[in-house]
Amino acid sequence: MRRLTLSLLICSFILFCTAETKAQEPKGPRFRLSGFGTLDVTSAGTKQVGYHNEFSHAGQFGGVSIFSGSVAGLQLDADLLPKLSVTVQGIVKERAKQDLFNFLDWAFLRYQLTPNTVIRAGRMGMDLYMLSEYRNVGFAYLWAHPVVEFYMPISFSHFDGFDAKYSHRIGPGFLEFKVYGGQVGSDIVVSRGDFSLRERPFFGANVSLETDHWKFRMTYATAEVHSARNQQFRQLLNALNHVPASLWPQAAEISDHISAEGKQTGYYSAGVAYEKNAWVVQSEFSWFDSKWPSVNGTNGYLSVGHRFGPVTAYSIGSYAKSLDSPLHFNPDPSTPEGVAQLQQQTQLAFNRTLVDQNTFSLGARWDLNHQTALKAQWDHTWVRKDGGGLLILKESLDQDITLDTFSVNLNFIFK
Amino acid sequence: MMRYLIATLPILLLISAQAWADIVVVVHPQSELKNLTKQQVIDIYMGRLQISADGGKIVPYDQPQDSEIRAAFYQNLTEKPVASVNAYWARLLFTGRASPPRQPSDSMSIVDIVAESLYAIGYIDEKDLDDRVSVVFKAMNNE
Repeated sequence: MRRLTLSLLICSFILFCTAETKAQEPKGPRFRLSGFGTLDVTSAGTKQVGYHNEFSHAGQFGGVSIFSGSVAGLQLDADLLPKLSVTVQGIVKERAKQDLFNFLDWAFLRYQLTPNTVIRAGRMGMDLYMLSEYRNVGFAYLWAHPVVEFYMPISFSHFDGFDAKYSHRIGPGFLEFKVYGGQVGSDIVVSRGDFSLRERPFFGANVSLETDHWKFRMTYATAEVHSARNQQFRQLLNALNHVPASLWPQAAEISDHISAEGKQTGYYSAGVAYEKNAWVVQSEFSWFDSKWPSVNGTNGYLSVGHRFGPVTAYSIGSYAKSLDSPLHFNPDPSTPEGVAQLQQQTQLAFNRTLVDQNTFSLGARWDLNHQTALKAQWDHTWVRKDGGGLLILKESLDQDITLDTFSVNLNFIFK
Repeated sequence: MMRYLIATLPILLLISAQAWADIVVVVHPQSELKNLTKQQVIDIYMGRLQISADGGKIVPYDQPQDSEIRAAFYQNLTEKPVASVNAYWARLLFTGRASPPRQPSDSMSIVDIVAESLYAIGYIDEKDLDDRVSVVFKAMNNE
């Protein structure tokens, strides 16, 4: 009976999908294979401070690396029915954990419900910011890499669930409203080692208005940490939870303060882009409102570019700052040695997760032809004491530092 | 010397305007798409308008990627250089939103394709126009 019901449902769905099929639609490929890639060379980091521009990358401790920004992707689109299509995208790049879960960036079904409404289900790109859905496609954006302060804190590249988009032209603008929900996960590298993060439920909404030269967008999304697995962090929380209250009364409270599981984060962002003839300007700001202090923060950037024939020169100013303060314990002589050591470890572990840095960048993109672009970028970054959460630190950051990063990459697509 | 430059300036402007004044957007004579505005043509060629009023899927066709007519068409429509349009289409393609306009195969012209399909749309140099297709927009038309 259950199989019969399922068969009827599938048949009804196919009939529904094909009901408005037109006889004279143009013949064309039902399968489309396309791809993209970036061949990157980056000089970054120092012996003590590891650089990465995505949390899923291992740190680069000085020297030159081809792994920091190189990526290859393949996408298959297939029209199953006139209004139903499937898209699968696989990405190969440097990752903390190489497995099918991470390789398969997208796999979703797309159904055109009405001329203005599209629904999708499966694994889809995160659509929190302007570049979020195509941050791996270097050819599709201006910079040599997405702005670290803004795009790195979101470690998720995709989510598993559904979305529904409604678009409509209103006057000179094209309005888009999108809602989505599901779950997200990522395997990343932080100063205290590998970190496996799963968040659910995840849901949110975007609204954007695009005119010929302007684009405005706003996003609200929320997610709850379901699991946050890191061996060192787990051991630290266990130790804090087992300290007798008579020795350190605040230990359990601090454990609760720095822990992640069960905590909700609200993501608020707003962005604006302008592009006309020679000028390309884009700016975004976001606020992570979270009880998890390692995430609670704000960031933003302003990018201004100018075209000179096939070359676009640009500069970017960006910042990221945690809204929680670092922990500082001052054990007195009467503090038991074990507790003093635990306080020291807690302070070191927590303060390494906080972020306080800004970057000034200069770069250029040279469009070689319709599917290839060469880019170069220099980033000068100021990182403040106890603000190196976007870096891999061998030791705690007890003073302000500066870092220089140079990237050159060749970006291409085929379709 | 300056006098010659000033004297030739209007001629140069006329020539540059003429280079893309005769681009016409064409469809099948029985197509639902009729008398398109500039905004509608932009929406079709920028992947925003994909379904026609009668529910058919609109299939836009592009001229060769590095051709002058393609660069002139997009510059006139969007006031953006073709490099910017290429990056824009990479964004749409690799976010699964839309597929870029198709390129005709070597053996068929855009007129051949549009003449055979109710939902195809293309742009051509006006001198290549014939009575198998209907003009729905002129690139110089600022409606």
